Amino acid sequence: MMDDREDRLDNLIRDAARDYHAPPATPRAEMWEAIQASRAAARTEVRPLVVRPARSPLRLVFGIAALLALGIAIGRLSVPARGTGPAALPEQTVAAVPEAAAAEQRVRSEVATRVATDDHLTQVETFLTEFGTRPTAPDFTAQAQDLLTDTRLLLDSKRVVDPKTRKLLEDLELVLAQIATLDPREKNRDRDLIADGLAQSHLRTRLRNAIPAGSAIRL
Amino acid sequence: MEPTSLVARVLAGEQDAERELYDTHVDRVYRLIYRMVGDGDLAADYTQDTFIRTFDRLAGFRGESALSTWITSIAISVVYNGQRKVKRLRAREVDLEYAEPVAVPQREADPDLKGKLAAAIEELPAGYRTVFLMHDVEGFTHLEIGSALGIQEGTSKAQLSRARAKLRQQLAQYAGDKAS
Repeated sequence: MMDDREDRLDNLIRDAARDYHAPPATPRAEMWEAIQASRAAARTEVRPLVVRPARSPLRLVFGIAALLALGIAIGRLSVPARGTGPAALPEQTVAAVPEAAAAEQRVRSEVATRVATDDHLTQVETFLTEFGTRPTAPDFTAQAQDLLTDTRLLLDSKRVVDPKTRKLLEDLELVLAQIATLDPREKNRDRDLIADGLAQSHLRTRLRNAIPAGSAIRL
Repeated sequence: MEPTSLVARVLAGEQDAERELYDTHVDRVYRLIYRMVGDGDLAADYTQDTFIRTFDRLAGFRGESALSTWITSIAISVVYNGQRKVKRLRAREVDLEYAEPVAVPQREADPDLKGKLAAAIEELPAGYRTVFLMHDVEGFTHLEIGSALGIQEGTSKAQLSRARAKLRQQLAQYAGDKAS
Protein backbone atom coordinates (compact mmCIF):
# COMPACT_ATOMS: atom_id res chain seq x y z
CA MET A 1 0.00 0.00 0.00
CA MET A 2 2.74 2.35 1.10
CA ASP A 3 4.94 1.13 -1.78
CA ASP A 4 2.17 1.82 -4.29
CA ARG A 5 1.83 5.32 -2.96
CA GLU A 6 5.59 5.85 -3.15
CA ASP A 7 5.71 4.47 -6.69
CA ARG A 8 2.91 6.74 -7.81
CA LEU A 9 4.60 9.73 -6.24
CA ASP A 10 7.93 8.75 -7.82
CA ASN A 11 6.24 8.58 -11.23
CA LEU A 12 4.60 11.92 -10.65
CA ILE A 13 7.93 13.43 -9.66
CA ARG A 14 9.70 11.92 -12.67
CA ASP A 15 7.07 13.30 -15.05
CA ALA A 16 7.19 16.74 -13.48
CA ALA A 17 11.00 16.72 -13.40
CA ARG A 18 11.13 16.63 -17.21
CA ASP A 19 10.22 20.30 -17.11
CA TYR A 20 12.99 21.11 -14.64
CA HIS A 21 15.58 23.22 -16.49
CA ALA A 22 14.11 21.92 -19.76
CA PRO A 23 16.89 22.44 -22.31
CA PRO A 24 16.23 24.48 -25.46
CA ALA A 25 17.52 23.36 -28.86
CA THR A 26 21.29 22.85 -28.80
CA PRO A 27 23.08 25.87 -30.30
CA ARG A 28 25.40 23.56 -32.25
CA ALA A 29 26.81 25.95 -34.82
CA GLU A 30 27.54 28.79 -32.40
CA MET A 31 29.29 26.51 -29.94
CA TRP A 32 31.31 24.79 -32.69
CA GLU A 33 32.57 28.14 -33.94
CA ALA A 34 33.55 29.15 -30.41
CA ILE A 35 35.34 25.83 -29.88
CA GLN A 36 37.29 26.19 -33.12
CA ALA A 37 38.25 29.78 -32.30
CA SER A 38 39.35 28.88 -28.79
CA ARG A 39 41.47 25.94 -29.98
CA ALA A 40 43.09 28.02 -32.70
CA ALA A 41 43.96 30.70 -30.13
CA ALA A 42 45.35 28.10 -27.73
CA ARG A 43 47.57 26.62 -30.44
CA THR A 44 49.02 30.05 -31.14
CA GLU A 45 49.65 30.70 -27.45
CA VAL A 46 51.21 27.31 -26.73
CA ARG A 47 53.59 27.21 -29.70
CA PRO A 48 56.46 29.28 -28.18
CA LEU A 49 56.47 27.14 -25.05
CA VAL A 50 56.48 23.93 -27.03
CA VAL A 51 59.36 24.91 -29.31
CA ARG A 52 61.48 26.60 -26.60
CA PRO A 53 64.29 27.58 -29.00
CA ALA A 54 66.38 29.31 -26.35
CA ARG A 55 66.88 26.34 -24.06
CA SER A 56 66.46 23.15 -26.01
CA PRO A 57 69.80 22.96 -27.93
CA LEU A 58 71.87 23.47 -24.80
CA ARG A 59 69.87 20.97 -22.83
CA LEU A 60 70.10 18.53 -25.72
CA VAL A 61 73.91 18.74 -25.72
CA PHE A 62 74.10 18.32 -21.94
CA GLY A 63 71.62 15.47 -22.11
CA ILE A 64 73.54 13.56 -24.74
CA ALA A 65 76.81 14.19 -22.89
CA ALA A 66 75.25 12.94 -19.67
CA LEU A 67 73.93 9.82 -21.37
CA LEU A 68 77.34 9.07 -22.91
CA ALA A 69 79.19 9.64 -19.64
CA LEU A 70 76.75 7.42 -17.83
CA GLY A 71 77.14 4.71 -20.46
CA ILE A 72 80.94 4.77 -20.28
CA ALA A 73 80.90 4.70 -16.48
CA ILE A 74 78.54 1.75 -16.40
CA GLY A 75 80.59 -0.05 -19.04
CA ARG A 76 83.80 0.38 -17.08
CA LEU A 77 82.21 -0.82 -13.90
CA SER A 78 80.43 -3.79 -15.41
CA VAL A 79 83.08 -5.18 -17.85
CA PRO A 80 86.12 -6.96 -16.25
CA ALA A 81 89.38 -5.04 -16.74
CA ARG A 82 91.82 -6.54 -19.29
CA GLY A 83 95.39 -6.83 -18.14
CA THR A 84 96.68 -7.34 -21.66
CA GLY A 85 96.19 -5.51 -24.94
CA PRO A 86 94.86 -6.99 -28.18
CA ALA A 87 98.34 -8.25 -29.10
CA ALA A 88 98.20 -10.69 -26.23
CA LEU A 89 94.95 -12.24 -27.41
CA PRO A 90 95.06 -15.62 -29.11
CA GLU A 91 95.32 -15.27 -32.87
CA GLN A 92 91.88 -16.67 -33.69
CA THR A 93 90.12 -14.08 -31.48
CA VAL A 94 91.72 -11.00 -33.06
CA ALA A 95 89.27 -10.89 -35.95
CA ALA A 96 86.33 -11.01 -33.53
CA VAL A 97 87.49 -7.96 -31.53
CA PRO A 98 85.75 -5.23 -33.65
CA GLU A 99 82.41 -7.07 -33.47
CA ALA A 100 82.83 -7.71 -29.78
CA ALA A 101 83.67 -4.05 -29.16
CA ALA A 102 80.66 -2.91 -31.16
CA ALA A 103 78.39 -5.29 -29.26
CA GLU A 104 79.84 -4.09 -25.99
CA GLN A 105 79.20 -0.49 -27.01
CA ARG A 106 75.61 -1.35 -27.89
CA VAL A 107 75.07 -2.95 -24.50
CA ARG A 108 76.56 0.09 -22.78
CA SER A 109 74.26 2.40 -24.71
CA GLU A 110 71.22 0.29 -23.92
CA VAL A 111 72.07 0.15 -20.24
CA ALA A 112 72.74 3.89 -20.13
CA THR A 113 69.47 4.64 -21.84
CA ARG A 114 67.57 2.30 -19.57
CA VAL A 115 69.08 3.82 -16.44
CA ALA A 116 68.40 7.36 -17.67
CA THR A 117 64.83 6.42 -18.63
CA ASP A 118 64.11 4.73 -15.31
CA ASP A 119 65.51 7.69 -13.44
CA HIS A 120 63.41 10.10 -15.49
CA LEU A 121 60.23 8.06 -15.05
CA THR A 122 60.84 7.97 -11.29
CA GLN A 123 61.12 11.75 -11.22
CA VAL A 124 57.95 12.18 -13.28
CA GLU A 125 56.07 9.70 -11.09
CA THR A 126 57.04 11.64 -7.97
CA PHE A 127 56.09 14.91 -9.63
CA LEU A 128 52.68 13.69 -10.82
CA THR A 129 51.89 12.16 -7.43
CA GLU A 130 52.62 15.48 -5.79
CA PHE A 131 50.66 17.31 -8.47
CA GLY A 132 47.63 15.08 -8.00
CA THR A 133 47.56 15.07 -4.22
CA ARG A 134 48.64 18.51 -3.02
CA PRO A 135 45.56 20.47 -1.92
CA THR A 136 47.12 23.80 -2.80
CA ALA A 137 48.80 24.49 -6.11
CA PRO A 138 52.41 25.61 -5.88
CA ASP A 139 54.16 26.65 -9.07
CA PHE A 140 54.26 23.34 -10.86
CA THR A 141 54.81 24.83 -14.29
CA ALA A 142 58.58 25.34 -14.12
CA GLN A 143 59.15 21.79 -12.88
CA ALA A 144 56.81 20.45 -15.56
CA GLN A 145 58.74 22.36 -18.24
CA ASP A 146 62.03 20.80 -17.13
CA LEU A 147 60.56 17.32 -17.07
CA LEU A 148 58.89 17.96 -20.42
CA THR A 149 62.25 18.88 -21.94
CA ASP A 150 63.85 15.72 -20.58
CA THR A 151 60.94 13.65 -21.85
CA ARG A 152 61.39 15.08 -25.33
CA LEU A 153 65.12 14.52 -25.08
CA LEU A 154 64.55 10.84 -24.46
CA LEU A 155 61.99 10.61 -27.26
CA ASP A 156 64.35 12.42 -29.63
CA SER A 157 67.35 10.25 -28.73
CA LYS A 158 65.87 7.28 -30.69
CA ARG A 159 67.54 4.96 -28.23
CA VAL A 160 64.32 4.28 -26.44
CA VAL A 161 63.08 1.59 -28.81
CA ASP A 162 60.60 -0.29 -26.62
CA PRO A 163 57.19 0.71 -28.06
CA LYS A 164 55.50 0.52 -24.64
CA THR A 165 58.03 2.89 -23.11
CA ARG A 166 57.83 5.24 -26.09
CA LYS A 167 54.03 5.32 -25.80
CA LEU A 168 54.31 6.06 -22.10
CA LEU A 169 56.77 8.89 -22.78
CA GLU A 170 54.46 10.31 -25.44
CA ASP A 171 51.52 10.28 -23.01
CA LEU A 172 53.67 11.89 -20.35
CA GLU A 173 54.74 14.53 -22.86
CA LEU A 174 51.09 15.44 -23.37
CA VAL A 175 50.29 15.71 -19.65
CA LEU A 176 53.48 17.59 -18.84
CA ALA A 177 52.79 20.01 -21.70
CA GLN A 178 49.33 20.65 -20.23
CA ILE A 179 50.78 21.34 -16.79
CA ALA A 180 53.63 23.44 -18.21
CA THR A 181 51.16 25.67 -20.02
CA LEU A 182 48.63 26.11 -17.20
CA ASP A 183 46.95 29.47 -17.42
CA PRO A 184 47.76 31.30 -14.14
CA ARG A 185 44.25 32.78 -14.09
CA GLU A 186 42.60 29.37 -14.37
CA LYS A 187 45.31 27.38 -12.65
CA ASN A 188 43.23 25.66 -9.96
CA ARG A 189 40.41 24.79 -12.31
CA ASP A 190 42.70 23.45 -15.05
CA ARG A 191 44.75 21.65 -12.43
CA ASP A 192 41.62 19.79 -11.28
CA LEU A 193 40.82 18.83 -14.85
CA ILE A 194 44.34 17.55 -15.49
CA ALA A 195 44.27 15.63 -12.21
CA ASP A 196 40.94 14.08 -13.27
CA GLY A 197 42.45 13.15 -16.62
CA LEU A 198 45.43 11.58 -14.88
CA ALA A 199 43.15 9.46 -12.74
CA GLN A 200 41.13 8.32 -15.74
CA SER A 201 44.11 7.44 -17.92
CA HIS A 202 45.77 5.41 -15.12
CA LEU A 203 49.00 7.10 -16.14
CA ARG A 204 50.52 6.93 -12.67
CA THR A 205 49.77 3.20 -12.47
CA ARG A 206 51.43 2.67 -15.85
CA LEU A 207 54.39 4.72 -14.66
CA ARG A 208 54.78 2.69 -11.50
CA ASN A 209 54.58 -0.53 -13.51
CA ALA A 210 57.26 0.72 -15.88
CA ILE A 211 59.72 1.61 -13.12
CA PRO A 212 61.73 -1.36 -11.84
CA ALA A 213 61.76 -1.80 -8.07
CA GLY A 214 64.62 0.13 -6.48
CA SER A 215 65.00 2.70 -9.25
CA ALA A 216 64.33 5.56 -6.89
CA ILE A 217 67.53 4.91 -4.96
CA ARG A 218 69.72 3.70 -7.78
CA LEU A 219 71.37 7.01 -8.62
CA MET B 1 31.33 4.33 -37.44
CA GLU B 2 33.02 2.64 -34.48
CA PRO B 3 33.99 5.14 -31.77
CA THR B 4 37.58 3.88 -31.75
CA SER B 5 38.10 4.52 -35.46
CA LEU B 6 36.46 7.93 -35.11
CA VAL B 7 38.91 8.69 -32.30
CA ALA B 8 41.78 7.49 -34.47
CA ARG B 9 40.66 9.79 -37.30
CA VAL B 10 40.44 12.76 -34.93
CA LEU B 11 43.91 12.00 -33.59
CA ALA B 12 45.16 11.81 -37.17
CA GLY B 13 44.06 15.42 -37.55
CA GLU B 14 40.97 14.95 -39.72
CA GLN B 15 38.78 18.04 -39.35
CA ASP B 16 35.67 16.19 -40.54
CA ALA B 17 36.17 13.60 -37.82
CA GLU B 18 36.37 16.30 -35.15
CA ARG B 19 33.07 17.71 -36.32
CA GLU B 20 31.56 14.23 -36.48
CA LEU B 21 32.59 13.49 -32.92
CA TYR B 22 31.17 16.82 -31.80
CA ASP B 23 27.87 16.29 -33.65
CA THR B 24 27.52 12.79 -32.23
CA HIS B 25 27.82 13.83 -28.60
CA VAL B 26 26.97 17.50 -28.31
CA ASP B 27 23.21 17.15 -27.75
CA ARG B 28 23.57 14.76 -24.86
CA VAL B 29 26.31 16.85 -23.28
CA TYR B 30 24.45 20.13 -23.70
CA ARG B 31 21.17 18.70 -22.39
CA LEU B 32 22.79 17.31 -19.27
CA ILE B 33 24.74 20.49 -18.59
CA TYR B 34 21.67 22.64 -19.11
CA ARG B 35 19.71 20.45 -16.69
CA MET B 36 22.46 20.92 -14.14
CA VAL B 37 22.89 24.69 -14.42
CA GLY B 38 19.60 25.95 -15.88
CA ASP B 39 21.23 28.81 -17.74
CA GLY B 40 21.74 28.98 -21.51
CA ASP B 41 24.96 31.00 -21.53
CA LEU B 42 26.60 28.94 -18.82
CA ALA B 43 25.48 25.71 -20.48
CA ALA B 44 27.01 26.82 -23.79
CA ASP B 45 30.26 27.86 -22.07
CA TYR B 46 30.57 24.59 -20.20
CA THR B 47 29.71 22.55 -23.30
CA GLN B 48 32.39 24.36 -25.31
CA ASP B 49 34.88 23.83 -22.52
CA THR B 50 33.96 20.14 -22.39
CA PHE B 51 34.72 19.63 -26.08
CA ILE B 52 37.91 21.68 -25.96
CA ARG B 53 39.10 19.42 -23.12
CA THR B 54 37.89 16.36 -24.99
CA PHE B 55 39.92 17.15 -28.09
CA ASP B 56 42.96 18.14 -26.03
CA ARG B 57 42.92 14.92 -24.05
CA LEU B 58 41.67 12.50 -26.66
CA ALA B 59 45.11 10.92 -26.99
CA GLY B 60 44.70 9.79 -23.38
CA PHE B 61 41.39 8.03 -24.07
CA ARG B 62 42.06 4.31 -23.56
CA GLY B 63 38.65 2.96 -24.48
CA GLU B 64 38.18 1.53 -21.00
CA SER B 65 34.74 3.13 -20.94
CA ALA B 66 32.47 4.23 -23.75
CA LEU B 67 33.54 7.45 -25.44
CA SER B 68 30.20 9.05 -24.50
CA THR B 69 30.77 8.17 -20.83
CA TRP B 70 34.30 9.55 -20.97
CA ILE B 71 33.03 12.82 -22.44
CA THR B 72 30.24 12.95 -19.85
CA SER B 73 32.79 12.63 -17.06
CA ILE B 74 34.69 15.59 -18.50
CA ALA B 75 31.43 17.55 -18.75
CA ILE B 76 30.55 16.89 -15.12
CA SER B 77 34.03 17.86 -14.01
CA VAL B 78 33.79 21.10 -16.00
CA VAL B 79 30.36 21.88 -14.50
CA TYR B 80 31.40 21.16 -10.93
CA ASN B 81 34.55 23.24 -11.20
CA GLY B 82 32.76 26.04 -13.03
CA GLN B 83 29.89 26.11 -10.57
CA ARG B 84 32.24 26.33 -7.62
CA LYS B 85 33.82 29.37 -9.21
CA VAL B 86 30.49 30.96 -10.10
CA LYS B 87 29.21 30.27 -6.61
CA ARG B 88 32.19 32.05 -5.10
CA LEU B 89 31.64 35.04 -7.36
CA ARG B 90 27.92 35.13 -6.58
CA ALA B 91 28.61 34.86 -2.87
CA ARG B 92 30.76 37.95 -3.10
CA GLU B 93 28.21 39.87 -5.11
CA VAL B 94 25.08 38.91 -3.22
CA ASP B 95 24.66 38.23 0.44
CA LEU B 96 23.00 34.86 -0.10
CA GLU B 97 24.83 32.33 1.96
CA TYR B 98 23.07 29.29 0.55
CA ALA B 99 22.80 30.30 -3.08
CA GLU B 100 24.24 27.00 -4.33
CA PRO B 101 22.53 26.82 -7.72
CA VAL B 102 23.55 29.39 -10.28
CA ALA B 103 20.22 30.20 -11.86
CA VAL B 104 17.66 29.91 -9.14
CA PRO B 105 14.32 31.44 -9.94
CA GLN B 106 12.10 32.44 -7.04
CA ARG B 107 10.39 29.13 -6.46
CA GLU B 108 8.98 29.54 -2.97
CA ALA B 109 5.95 31.45 -4.14
CA ASP B 110 5.14 28.91 -6.83
CA PRO B 111 2.26 26.80 -5.57
CA ASP B 112 2.16 24.04 -8.14
CA LEU B 113 3.95 20.72 -8.13
CA LYS B 114 6.56 21.68 -10.71
CA GLY B 115 7.52 24.78 -8.79
CA LYS B 116 7.82 22.91 -5.52
CA LEU B 117 9.66 20.08 -7.23
CA ALA B 118 12.15 22.50 -8.74
CA ALA B 119 12.79 24.02 -5.32
CA ALA B 120 13.17 20.54 -3.82
CA ILE B 121 15.65 19.50 -6.54
CA GLU B 122 17.70 22.63 -5.90
CA GLU B 123 17.90 21.71 -2.23
CA LEU B 124 19.29 18.24 -2.90
CA PRO B 125 22.99 17.73 -2.18
CA ALA B 126 24.99 18.14 -5.41
CA GLY B 127 25.75 14.42 -5.76
CA TYR B 128 22.12 13.35 -5.28
CA ARG B 129 20.92 16.04 -7.69
CA THR B 130 23.37 14.98 -10.38
CA VAL B 131 22.42 11.32 -10.12
CA PHE B 132 18.70 12.13 -10.08
CA LEU B 133 18.96 14.37 -13.15
CA MET B 134 21.14 11.92 -15.02
CA HIS B 135 19.00 8.87 -14.29
CA ASP B 136 15.41 9.98 -13.88
CA VAL B 137 15.46 12.95 -16.24
CA GLU B 138 18.11 12.31 -18.88
CA GLY B 139 17.91 8.51 -18.91
CA PHE B 140 21.53 7.55 -18.13
CA THR B 141 22.01 4.04 -16.74
CA HIS B 142 23.58 3.47 -13.34
CA LEU B 143 26.58 1.94 -15.10
CA GLU B 144 27.08 5.10 -17.16
CA ILE B 145 26.57 7.32 -14.13
CA GLY B 146 29.03 5.27 -12.10
CA SER B 147 31.69 5.51 -14.81
CA ALA B 148 31.12 9.20 -15.42
CA LEU B 149 31.17 10.17 -11.74
CA GLY B 150 33.88 7.72 -10.74
CA ILE B 151 31.62 5.92 -8.26
CA GLN B 152 30.34 2.35 -7.96
CA GLU B 153 27.12 1.42 -9.73
CA GLY B 154 25.65 0.55 -6.32
CA THR B 155 26.54 3.98 -4.98
CA SER B 156 24.70 5.56 -7.88
CA LYS B 157 21.62 3.46 -7.06
CA ALA B 158 21.85 4.37 -3.38
CA GLN B 159 22.18 8.08 -4.15
CA LEU B 160 19.19 7.96 -6.49
CA SER B 161 17.15 6.19 -3.83
CA ARG B 162 18.06 8.83 -1.25
CA ALA B 163 17.35 11.64 -3.72
CA ARG B 164 13.90 10.22 -4.45
CA ALA B 165 13.20 9.79 -0.74
CA LYS B 166 14.09 13.42 -0.07
CA LEU B 167 11.91 14.58 -2.95
CA ARG B 168 9.00 12.42 -1.75
CA GLN B 169 9.42 13.90 1.69
CA GLN B 170 9.30 17.43 0.29
CA LEU B 171 6.32 16.68 -1.91
CA ALA B 172 4.38 14.41 0.43
CA GLN B 173 1.32 16.63 0.17
CA TYR B 174 0.90 15.55 -3.44
CA ALA B 175 0.87 11.85 -2.57
CA GLY B 176 -2.71 11.94 -1.39
CA ASP B 177 -4.41 13.94 -4.10
CA LYS B 178 -2.55 14.18 -7.40
CA ALA B 179 -0.74 10.88 -7.14
CA SER B 180 -3.91 8.92 -6.57
